[in-house]
Amino acid sequence: MNGILNFISRIGQLDRRWIFLIIALVVLIPLFFPLGLPIRATESTRLVWETVENLEPESKVLLSLEYGPSTKPELHPMVFALVRHLLKNDHKIYMTCLWPDGQFMAEDLIEKVIELEFPDKSYGEDYVLLGFRPGGEAVIKGIVSNIRKLYTVDARNLSVDEIPMMEAVNQFKDFDFLFSASAGFPGTVEWVQYASDPTGVPMSTGTTSIQVNEVMPYVQGGQVKGILAGMPGAAEYEALIGVPGIGTSGMDAQSIAHVVIVLFIIFGNVAYFVERKKAKKY
Amino acid sequence: MSGEILGAWIAVFLTLAIFSYLYKDNAFYKIAEHIFVGISAGYWTSMFFWTQIQPNLFGRLWPSKQYDADSFWYGIYDALSWINTSIFPAGGIDKGHEMHLIYLLPFALGIMMLLSVFDKLSWFARWGIAYTVGMAAGLRAYGYLNSNVIAQVRNSTLNFSDPDLPFFALIGNSYFNSILLLVGTISGLLYFYFSKEQKGVFGKVARVGIYFLMVSFGASFGFAVMGRISLLIGRFVDLITYNDAYYHHATIWVLILMVLALGYSAFKEKGSPKPS
Repeated sequence: MNGILNFISRIGQLDRRWIFLIIALVVLIPLFFPLGLPIRATESTRLVWETVENLEPESKVLLSLEYGPSTKPELHPMVFALVRHLLKNDHKIYMTCLWPDGQFMAEDLIEKVIELEFPDKSYGEDYVLLGFRPGGEAVIKGIVSNIRKLYTVDARNLSVDEIPMMEAVNQFKDFDFLFSASAGFPGTVEWVQYASDPTGVPMSTGTTSIQVNEVMPYVQGGQVKGILAGMPGAAEYEALIGVPGIGTSGMDAQSIAHVVIVLFIIFGNVAYFVERKKAKKY
Repeated sequence: MSGEILGAWIAVFLTLAIFSYLYKDNAFYKIAEHIFVGISAGYWTSMFFWTQIQPNLFGRLWPSKQYDADSFWYGIYDALSWINTSIFPAGGIDKGHEMHLIYLLPFALGIMMLLSVFDKLSWFARWGIAYTVGMAAGLRAYGYLNSNVIAQVRNSTLNFSDPDLPFFALIGNSYFNSILLLVGTISGLLYFYFSKEQKGVFGKVARVGIYFLMVSFGASFGFAVMGRISLLIGRFVDLITYNDAYYHHATIWVLILMVLALGYSAFKEKGSPKPS
């Protein structure tokens, strides 16, 4: 018994660099040898999918990208999946960015998904990148009151008046649906407060995992129609539209890493109690 | 094409340089950290200037639509244009705006903010800050009250008259979930009520509030771990991609060179006398 306790105690004093190495390995190995663990959509992911599915054809969808390279692995896969779904159902996509890096993400999205997989869709008629405007919530207020005052030109410096799909789009109420892909401030919370709640235009969101707790009350209260929660949310959405992507391929690593972290937490706690017991004894 | 390969090598170097901090603080990490801070500051400044100040501020002060070479106002513009034509192109700025001289006000406030770098004139910055704080407070007050207070209270209200509401449901509305929400909200709020000593019945209710808060913190921690692992997966996917022959096996080469450099540094450190 003493031997086991000593072993646990020694494990508790393990150099943290070994833990980093183990985590790196358990993330890396499933990327090389995928296990194909099943992915089941949660209610909140399914709600996003159903909301998009129930939109009338050729609906005007405002897609706001509020993230950059630092959170790309979590949000980019879900935006890819959502855009595939929207374009498959023939909706019009208007892209705005509240973060400057969001514009790069949008350009990457256009290059890798829209132009490659939907060559029949044309810029200005089926999708448009309005681009980044600084100002945080003031930009949202601007879009709500008069989008044309804020965006006189798009990200490609084309006059908004000359873009066919911008016809009859003057304010936020002219959109049928909003999807906010958000990694923080300004993002989903601000869209709820200044755009969706005051105007009644339905919105869904995809956020980084760390933001889920903050946004979930809006989802449960019905103010936001579903949430894609981090990389698992993206993987679930990919499963729902039947197009596996980057989100799906990362889920094995994610699941195994979680199991290992849980084991570390249990070991850490047991080691702590063993140490405490020892300290009391002597 | 060569630019893409060079970009991959830089990305691999910066990723591994940041990861090297897990071993210990070192020169590679410092280089990556400084590059990140410098590029971020430069990028944001440039982005803000070219997407807001130039088109939306200068574009409204000197729009090309109302350009008049003989007027005093556009005379100032022409002088500025003589200094820099990319910011002030000849014939006014064509961003689809009409002239709005009211924008001189935010222009002046912006310049006043910049005066904070001079000790004697730094008080000017308070005007700009006062405007920003006042505007933001006013803007947010309504949003929070409407979406976070009124809407949340309305949406979490228990509807006893609904015959279809189940007693228990794991997800969605039910009597049990609504009561749990009510207990959690009230006990959580009471925990933060510090005008009365937390003992007796009040203390016990506040303690229930702590348990609810702990569950919330636990959920936050779980989501934080999930997010960090996702980011790690993202970096690993890029490292695997850049180890392809197309990128001349950037990952493995940079990794080997970095490990050798760190090993050599550790060896030298071990041999040198410790500072007293």
